Amino acid sequence: MAQTLRVVGDTLPGADMNAPLLEVEDLQVEFAVRGSRIPAVRGATFAVEQGQTLAIVGESGSGKSVTSQAVMGILDSPPGHITGGEVRLHGVDLLQQDAETRRTVRANHIGMVFQDALSALNPLWSVGFQIGELFRMHRGTSRKDAKLKAIELLDLVGIPDAKNRVGQYPHQFSGGMRQRVMIAMALALDPEVLIADEPTTALDVTVQAQIMRLLRQIQEDRDMGLILITHDLGVVADVADEVAVMYAGRIMEQAGIHQIFERPANPYTKALLKAIPRVDTLGQELEVISGLPPNPGALPGGCSFHPRCWAAEDKCSIEDPPYETVATGHRSRCHFAEEVYRDER
Amino acid sequence: MGRYVIRRLLQGLLTLFITLFLLHYLMALSVQIRGNPALLFFGGERTPDPAMLAQVERLYGLDDACYDRTGDPCLAPFVERMQNYARGDFGTTLTGNQDVGELLAIWIPNTLRLFIFATITLVTLSMILGTWAARHHGRFVDHSVRGTTILIDSVPVFLVLLAYVYIIAVPLTNWARGIWGDESFMGQLFRPSYSADYPWVTIIIPGIIVGTVGLATLTRLVRASQLENLGSDYVRTAKAKGLKRMRITVVHVVRNSMIPIVTGVGYTFAYMLSGAVLTEGVMGIPGMGRMIFQAVQRQETNLVIVGLTASAVVVITVTMIVDLLYAALDPRIRYE
Repeated sequence: MAQTLRVVGDTLPGADMNAPLLEVEDLQVEFAVRGSRIPAVRGATFAVEQGQTLAIVGESGSGKSVTSQAVMGILDSPPGHITGGEVRLHGVDLLQQDAETRRTVRANHIGMVFQDALSALNPLWSVGFQIGELFRMHRGTSRKDAKLKAIELLDLVGIPDAKNRVGQYPHQFSGGMRQRVMIAMALALDPEVLIADEPTTALDVTVQAQIMRLLRQIQEDRDMGLILITHDLGVVADVADEVAVMYAGRIMEQAGIHQIFERPANPYTKALLKAIPRVDTLGQELEVISGLPPNPGALPGGCSFHPRCWAAEDKCSIEDPPYETVATGHRSRCHFAEEVYRDER
Repeated sequence: MGRYVIRRLLQGLLTLFITLFLLHYLMALSVQIRGNPALLFFGGERTPDPAMLAQVERLYGLDDACYDRTGDPCLAPFVERMQNYARGDFGTTLTGNQDVGELLAIWIPNTLRLFIFATITLVTLSMILGTWAARHHGRFVDHSVRGTTILIDSVPVFLVLLAYVYIIAVPLTNWARGIWGDESFMGQLFRPSYSADYPWVTIIIPGIIVGTVGLATLTRLVRASQLENLGSDYVRTAKAKGLKRMRITVVHVVRNSMIPIVTGVGYTFAYMLSGAVLTEGVMGIPGMGRMIFQAVQRQETNLVIVGLTASAVVVITVTMIVDLLYAALDPRIRYE
């Protein structure tokens, strides 16, 4: 079924509406630091369909934020360089597009919500100006109409008294309200994909739940594809359809949310799940993954996780495990994926 | 916002009052310790007729008994002086008996012109160089901008001035006059000295030279604050909003880096006064800097006080403008 892009006049040239919404294939990102090249993302492959939520989970430094910035095209370069792979939106490889096309894709097709809304919003402009700016710059809307649109959006994301608050500055909002402003900004031009990079990390637990609910609800209402980047597997459980677990710049495992929680096929995922605090293990000591994530400049040979892995054998330090399918829609990067999947390890 | 402005204005007035009093007290002390400036009226004659001396003292307001008591703050003459200032009466000079108010009407505009050109030069150069260096930070451009500005800044102003006046100005003027004629803008621009007939044109070059004082500091300030903003989260957000590069620079970088720059310009402005003394001296510009210097040399008590008052007013006004600009630039200050 051919469907026109939502954004009239900003149609992506060559877009095929039957192609998947957003596909990332074998994405490679390196950082050039003092003459050497340090790999940050080593072959990330994933896809998001309309109306679907993909969670990318990983520890800090696992490359999840870099991945999202590379998809968005806002990677700081230098030092960051995309050295390979494809990022396809409706079948169009964005990495092959010129800078101007890439610029219009941002906000029009892919919106982004950042972690710390206090620093991610410009302190010197009112929230109404910052939201309205999108309409004025991309649609040529007048200042007055842009302000009305901003009020509408603030209302949509649940900011009470939006009419009066539209002229206020970021520092006059609470943390949760600021994050709502960020979400309103990302939604302004009705993008098909929303990338939320740790949207709740800087917030109180109760506010976290509200923001996640808001994201979920908006995603359903607008039938968007949502990429949720987080280090917190617990946050993911209620909202995600798919989970990709990243470690040291690689996707270790990818599967549906139930698969991941019930039958993980990777020792790393298993260890992560055990580290989630639960009510039924109250009073017991929480399990941790010993050691630290590897330095991306000096990755261990073989499987990057082997020095910290509870299931590692000699083979793991020599041979890089392949990314294999263990069940339909369930892939894992481990020499013993099958065994872990069947719970034999 | 209104309260903020009123508070700053009152603070400015208070500072001005304290400055005026301190100036007065320092001059009173200098009269008490160093001796009676009224003696100057009689030139080289050491022992003038006491009756005539008393008359001169009365004429210049030096007859108060407090001037004989070392340490006395001389409040009565201070009050009298304030009243005179309020009426627009700034007294007369000891030598030549000229009206100081009339002299100020010539000197102040000249110095202001000098400051205008100096500020324009300083702000333009440091903004361009600082932005350029920030864009290429850590690379050759960055290092050469730093090297060059430090070099310019570390050469004393008077050296640049002397080099200009004695080496460059004359051939340049001759060349320009050969092409455009004596009375043209270009013909006057490069003159080695000030001309009362062309009070604007002949102050441009001295202004530019004064403007290089503090260039290195301000350039590095611009560079640092822009670098900080270029790497900030809200610039990343602006990129994610698909804004054009120019829009990001103008709306999300320049305004955010203006606060430290405005502060820097305020500081440098006060600092420029010292540059003005030298520049006005070498280029023969009748302005406040040269006047204060000469007044100190000749022990012209009244002139020194009036001159320093004027410069205090300038510095306090600039500081106040800087404070108000803060509020205009940053809502977090406005709503504090």
